[in-house]
Amino acid sequence: MTDWSTPRVSPVRLRPSGVSVRERMLDRTSPLRQLDWVLLIAVGLLIAVGGLLIWSATRQREMVLGLDPQAFVKKHAINATIGLALGTVAALVDYRALRAYAPFVYGASCLGLIAVLSPLGSTINGAHSWIVLPAGFQIQPSEFAKLAIVVGMAMLLGEKRDGESRPRDMDVVQVLGLCAFPLGLIMLQPDFGSMMVFIFVILGVLAVSGAPARWVGGLLLAGVLVGGFVAPHLLKDYQLNRFRVVANPGADPQGFGFNVNQALIANGSGGLTGKGLFHGTQTQGRFIPEQQTDFVFTVAGEELGLAGGGGIILLLGVVLWRGLRIASQATDLFGRLVAAGVVSWFTFQSFVNIGMTLGIMPVTGLPLPFVSYGGSAMFANLMAIGLLQNVHMRSREM
Amino acid sequence: MRLRSGLVLLGVVVLLLASRLVQLQGLQPAAYADIGVQRTQDIVLPAMRGQVLDRNGSPLALSVVAMNIYAEPRTIAKATCQKGATAPCDAQSIAAAVAPLLGLKVGTVAGQLAANIAANKAFLYLKKGIDPALAQRVMSLNLPGIGQESTTQRVHPNHALAAGVLGFTDYQGIGRAGIELAMQQVLAGKDGRTVARFDAAGRVIPTGGDSHVDPIAGKSVELTIDRDLQWYAQQLVADQVAATQAKSGTAVVMDVKTGEVLALATAPSFDPDNRTTGNFTANPAISDVYEPGSVNKVITAAAALQDGIVTPQTVITVPPTYKVAGHVLHDAEVHGVEHLTFAGVLAKSSNIGTVKVAQQLGADRLYAMMRNFGFGAQSGLGLPGESAGIIPKPADWSGTSIANIPIGQGISVNAIQVASVYATIANGGVRVQPSIVKGTRDSAGHLTPVPAAAQRRVVSSAIAAQIRAMLESVVSEQGTAPLAAIPGYRVAGKTGTAQRVATSGPMQGRYDGSFTSSFIGMAPADAPRYVTAVVLQGTGAKGYFGGVVAAPLFSKIMGFALRSYEVVPSGTKPPTLRLSVP
Repeated sequence: MTDWSTPRVSPVRLRPSGVSVRERMLDRTSPLRQLDWVLLIAVGLLIAVGGLLIWSATRQREMVLGLDPQAFVKKHAINATIGLALGTVAALVDYRALRAYAPFVYGASCLGLIAVLSPLGSTINGAHSWIVLPAGFQIQPSEFAKLAIVVGMAMLLGEKRDGESRPRDMDVVQVLGLCAFPLGLIMLQPDFGSMMVFIFVILGVLAVSGAPARWVGGLLLAGVLVGGFVAPHLLKDYQLNRFRVVANPGADPQGFGFNVNQALIANGSGGLTGKGLFHGTQTQGRFIPEQQTDFVFTVAGEELGLAGGGGIILLLGVVLWRGLRIASQATDLFGRLVAAGVVSWFTFQSFVNIGMTLGIMPVTGLPLPFVSYGGSAMFANLMAIGLLQNVHMRSREM
Repeated sequence: MRLRSGLVLLGVVVLLLASRLVQLQGLQPAAYADIGVQRTQDIVLPAMRGQVLDRNGSPLALSVVAMNIYAEPRTIAKATCQKGATAPCDAQSIAAAVAPLLGLKVGTVAGQLAANIAANKAFLYLKKGIDPALAQRVMSLNLPGIGQESTTQRVHPNHALAAGVLGFTDYQGIGRAGIELAMQQVLAGKDGRTVARFDAAGRVIPTGGDSHVDPIAGKSVELTIDRDLQWYAQQLVADQVAATQAKSGTAVVMDVKTGEVLALATAPSFDPDNRTTGNFTANPAISDVYEPGSVNKVITAAAALQDGIVTPQTVITVPPTYKVAGHVLHDAEVHGVEHLTFAGVLAKSSNIGTVKVAQQLGADRLYAMMRNFGFGAQSGLGLPGESAGIIPKPADWSGTSIANIPIGQGISVNAIQVASVYATIANGGVRVQPSIVKGTRDSAGHLTPVPAAAQRRVVSSAIAAQIRAMLESVVSEQGTAPLAAIPGYRVAGKTGTAQRVATSGPMQGRYDGSFTSSFIGMAPADAPRYVTAVVLQGTGAKGYFGGVVAAPLFSKIMGFALRSYEVVPSGTKPPTLRLSVP
């Protein structure tokens, strides 16, 4: 059994006095030295590129309305700064101590999701997913719930067993029960995209946890069956239309196919190097609704072209690769599962987001991690990165 | 192990996205690039039309940039007020912002917008032809659905001055009459174009537009018209038309050496900036043809002198009446049998004496001389709408033609043609084709003159001098037009008073009892510089003798021209020709 209560070396212990700040920062055991800098730089670049794209997507509209053309960029920067602070906290608190807080994190998320469904919740763009706070702030609890479910599953699956044995059927059932409640709440909103992220995270964490293959395979099969036969009856017509567009890209370009069609035009007309920042006709003409949030990738596709779009995919690939690397280097199952959960989450969300702007995935309200405009997602994403760094720092101690 | 497969899955995901991106952007970019320029529109950048200048460079017609402000009701209907928006974003607030600047009532504009939104209209002019600076202020409000288009306005600083010569442009800025029409190609320039891109709401995207062709401004046209002389002539003609209750009037001043028209005044005229009243469809100086009457006797005289039939001192017996082919001819004044010299025939404008000489001359030689002087053909001025007039061929002459045509009846001419005949006499017998365009000026101000006017000798300089001497006696106390005299200068000229054929109304095509009263002359007679023709149409109500109603105008206009061009009087005395023998 892993003894997490008495770590051999504290990563933040004080060094003997008389050593300069610089030496301390460069010391082998300094937390700065133990950070995954590749991961951090990739995330930082994604946020920066996101800022440019958001700027380009919003300046025209803001100018026309007589508002500050940089309002969205500034808020993006503020979101990133707050997210950085939250992520730092998530990185510094020893993740092994975090296990103790996992139930609270889980409980708080569920409360948030309940609040959304209560009169406190608001509908924005057709999804009843927000809590509007005073002073223009909005919270989207489902973003934090993604984080909570990763931590919650890791706690359940990582705690109950020693390193050698696999999760038993009972553990899996427990985990599914744990996930069912928030999943149900999200289905009620309805937030189809977040729901799919949840399912993918559950599958990913279960798979990495070493749960019996029958569970992983069975769940996959159940998912496909539900998706194929039950969903068509449960989903609303507009949701089904989103699948129809993927199957038939030219469908109803002025109606339900408008978004995808305009996104395809934007991405497709960018060419190799794009039309130049602020010079995309689709973007500056604001042909693509929700471009600064869910469709932010189209700005890159149009104005920065294959180079920009490919660069974003590459950066996301680096983030995910570093996440998997952290998972594989983790010294305990909890850390590994947290990392695996975060990677599953980002992988699926990135793929669906970019995929929908390229016309190979149905449109869902999922932001592109780090790049899209939006506070809640930014906070949750950066806290997840904080957790990855947390696991990373503490695996180096071995 | 499962993490390894996770890595594989990750690779697959990244590859899938990347390859789709390559497929979209790398392999089929053209397909989307074409759609990517959706909602663009060619916007014509109107070329600035050239100016029309007088001979000293004063603008007579020029274009200024003006703006039209329009609204797009459908776009405004789509505009929604976002939370926290400080700028106008609905019909009411847009109207409130734009109306005061345009000097319109907010309620009116709001009502217009609302009505057009209700009717689902796409376009609506709010105000046309406003100052660009004002339009800039409107556009800087960044109102949704409010746009501007550039246009030009033709303005005429001197209003009706030379309006008949200048003509006018239509609402598209295309010349439709006068110089504006004749020089359309030169004045128009070449429109530029730009491609504007529109956003989803129909607003122009400022950063768009990568295809831009600047307009090329039109060249200016410099006329031979002298603004001040034109103004003076125009005033006098208008006043005289009013005073004599004539139908219309024309005054032409021509430089005898160059054929340049210094003034071409007509009345009634019109204000090209406000074309609601007035005659602006034609320029009567060139489009109205009339029977020249006695002024044609100069051509008869020239032909007779040229062929040696008479000399100025040849005595001609003039009976009180004279019968030709059953037609009884009279002179203007009742007289007994007179013995006039040929100079006297011209000075007293004797019809009978002229016809007797013409009978010796014959139809062919008279006809040839009239054509040689430019009758029956366009003057070459180049203004649109010129009528060549009618000179019947000798084969078509009737028995009485020899009694009519030599004295200017049964033919029709225009005022420029007549002026050109006298300019030819003044110029020593050499006809210089009349012109009204001096040249074109490019934007740098460089003048490209029009090709030199065609010249041809019509009569010898000796005969021209003889005719001038004879015409000087017209202005003498014994002649028909002493009122044409200009103090200090020697003047030669000829009166004309002809019955007029109505050009419109119930009497159209028949003599309506009114007259064409004219005086055409040159000065200084000893070394002529200018020819001035004054023609009043439809006189009769208040005087009709050319020597009475037209000659005084000639005196004033010609006097003005001589003084403004500082022509020094020679101080010589006119020759005293014997006009009659006892």
